[in-house]
Amino acid sequence: MYALEHPHRAHVASLGEGTPVALLVTLVTAWVAAQALGALGWLPRRAVDIVGLAVAHGALLGIAVAWTTRTARAQAWFPAALLVAAGALAALGLPGLLGYALLPLWLVWLARDGRVGWLRPAPAASILSGALLGAVLGAHMLVGATLTLGHRISVPEVAALLPWLAYDVGANVPAGEGFFRGALFARAHRRWSLGAATAISTSLYVARYLLDPLLPSTLELMAGAAFYLSLLGIANCWFFARTGSAWPGLAASLLFFAAYRLLAPA
Amino acid sequence: MSARVRRDAAWTALALVLVAGLRIGLDPSPASPWRHLLLIPVLVAGLRLGSAGGVVTGFGAALLEALCVLPALERLGASGVADGLLTLGLPIGAGALSGGLATRAARARGRHTLAVAIQRVLADAPTLDAALLRLRDCLARHVPGAIALAARDGERLVLAGAASVAARSLAARVLATGEPAWAPHVGGEQGPRRALVVPLVVRGEPIGVLALEREGELGREEQAALAALGAHAGLALENARLASLQRRAAEELARKVDEATARLREMDRMKSDFVAIASHELRTPLTALAGFSELLATRRFPPEEIRRLADIMRGETVRLARIVSDILDLSRLERGLEPVLRRVPVAVETVAAAALEVFRRGAPTHRFELRCPEPLPAADADPDALERILANLVSNAVKYSPAGSCVGVACRAIDGGRSVEVTVEDEGGGIPSEALDRIFEPYYRAPGASRVAYGTGIGLAVVKSLVVAHGGTIRAENVPARGTRMAFTLPAVP
Repeated sequence: MYALEHPHRAHVASLGEGTPVALLVTLVTAWVAAQALGALGWLPRRAVDIVGLAVAHGALLGIAVAWTTRTARAQAWFPAALLVAAGALAALGLPGLLGYALLPLWLVWLARDGRVGWLRPAPAASILSGALLGAVLGAHMLVGATLTLGHRISVPEVAALLPWLAYDVGANVPAGEGFFRGALFARAHRRWSLGAATAISTSLYVARYLLDPLLPSTLELMAGAAFYLSLLGIANCWFFARTGSAWPGLAASLLFFAAYRLLAPA
Repeated sequence: MSARVRRDAAWTALALVLVAGLRIGLDPSPASPWRHLLLIPVLVAGLRLGSAGGVVTGFGAALLEALCVLPALERLGASGVADGLLTLGLPIGAGALSGGLATRAARARGRHTLAVAIQRVLADAPTLDAALLRLRDCLARHVPGAIALAARDGERLVLAGAASVAARSLAARVLATGEPAWAPHVGGEQGPRRALVVPLVVRGEPIGVLALEREGELGREEQAALAALGAHAGLALENARLASLQRRAAEELARKVDEATARLREMDRMKSDFVAIASHELRTPLTALAGFSELLATRRFPPEEIRRLADIMRGETVRLARIVSDILDLSRLERGLEPVLRRVPVAVETVAAAALEVFRRGAPTHRFELRCPEPLPAADADPDALERILANLVSNAVKYSPAGSCVGVACRAIDGGRSVEVTVEDEGGGIPSEALDRIFEPYYRAPGASRVAYGTGIGLAVVKSLVVAHGGTIRAENVPARGTRMAFTLPAVP
């Protein structure tokens, strides 16, 4: 028993401890440079978007990897590099969307032997519960948006839907769950109560999507998104606290965002 | 999550969906009175599943009700927002309230149950170690997480659930300060591992600690409850410790009573033996005195024969007087009175030489040696008492050693001349080792002694009382390949 048999020393890391500052500085610099080059017309718009995607999600996952893995710190640079590669491949057409598999595959490889704590295996029942929750929330969002805002549920063409699904699978969802649950919530929970950690993680999670340029920016849609993302964030924190794994949250988020992609504006 | 909780959660979800379907089927308008039906599963879930279940079910009900409320909200605009939000918030609030109350009631019931269980398991704990183990088992059944206890037992620290208390550990800090210690995370890979150490308090002093480690939540309310439990458990442990002490004292008392009873029985038996032996010892000289006085009264003897008979009669009279003196001294001893001494400076070697001379004449079967190699300081003693001490010891040596053997008396100064030690040695069979500690007790006779010689069993008790009355000591020991050595000390004249 630790409390009796070991001299006490604080085990709680500060919230920013181990943050890969050099990576963040590099990514921000790259983003600023890409924006500048794009504004000058020296870099195509598509390339600027790819850099933006890689910077945003690469930064989140880079921090998550640096905070939570017991591997070399150089690993934190991999997500951004893989996302640049995925974005570049996706630009080549539908087969290129397979490039978005690079990041999940790399994460699975990195998580072998339990080296990434938040990707440890979770009970199948928990993953199914997460999927059910994501599906219910997504369905409710679809019905609610249809009833209130006049949006309609549509099944878009595969060519239109697949890039979004690939983006969710290969960047959006892993980065969100990896950083906001696997890194931020886990670190905050070691310091504070479940409620406080959930509040911190979820509020930043919602803020991240409200600032996302890919989401619509009308007030009603932002209010709806904040509501559902809050519920999703709270539920995913609870799943993570119970299982110590992000897999239920990944399942919930994937199904929720898949439902979101079915929503067509009025 | 227990099977009961899973079952209740499944029934709640089913009930919620059915009630929502019923409510929408009957009247989907947001103002329908049927909307309140949704409160039923929410309240039941709160009462069955606690605050978490109540809030989650409330959210579920709100989400289902939102399907009816949101379109109206969209139609009415800002004027309907307050009413809509109230409608959606009501089930969440109801679930939180009913669940919170149920959770609090369950916690209070759990604390009460635990307090009763603690009292019960500690009621008849035989030792503090056992009490601590029972307390830990009891706590482990009621409080989730790993539990360890430590309690002071004098200088010792009794532990349950841990092997030691390290310096600078949380427990050591609590033992020193008496204040609870809390650590939000104490290691471990999967999730936070909380640790709380609370003092076990008795009369405001920490007598031990209760440590709880858990992977999961350990909220403020539970921390406060555990701190209160520490005080309660401390008191219960103290009661158990006192009860244990009382039980041990009672057992000790019973053992001592048994021993005293056995001792009294033995004393009674020894006294009976003493009466028989003393009667015999008294009758022998009396018979001799009666017989010889009868002869002298009824016959005529030549003067030499009369002197011889008179010597015999004087010897028997001395023997009779010594037995009577011993009995009188023992009587004083048993009444708690010390022998009356008239202490003067006494030359021990002179008294010893005189005593040996008496025996040399009376017991020609033995050889007697006196060894006083150095000039001795005078002893601060009663000469009559010293003579009786020596006579008793030499008499015993003669009685319990074979004819022809040597009885030696030696004197020497010890403690830098502050005391004189006198030893009486024989060449007999020695004293059984188990009897060495008891031969100075009144009426006690070593096993087999009565087969060798008659004796009352009070001589050595009287000798010891005389020596002790002088402020000296006496001991008996067996000398390998020799016999018995009796050694006593007397204080020298300062």
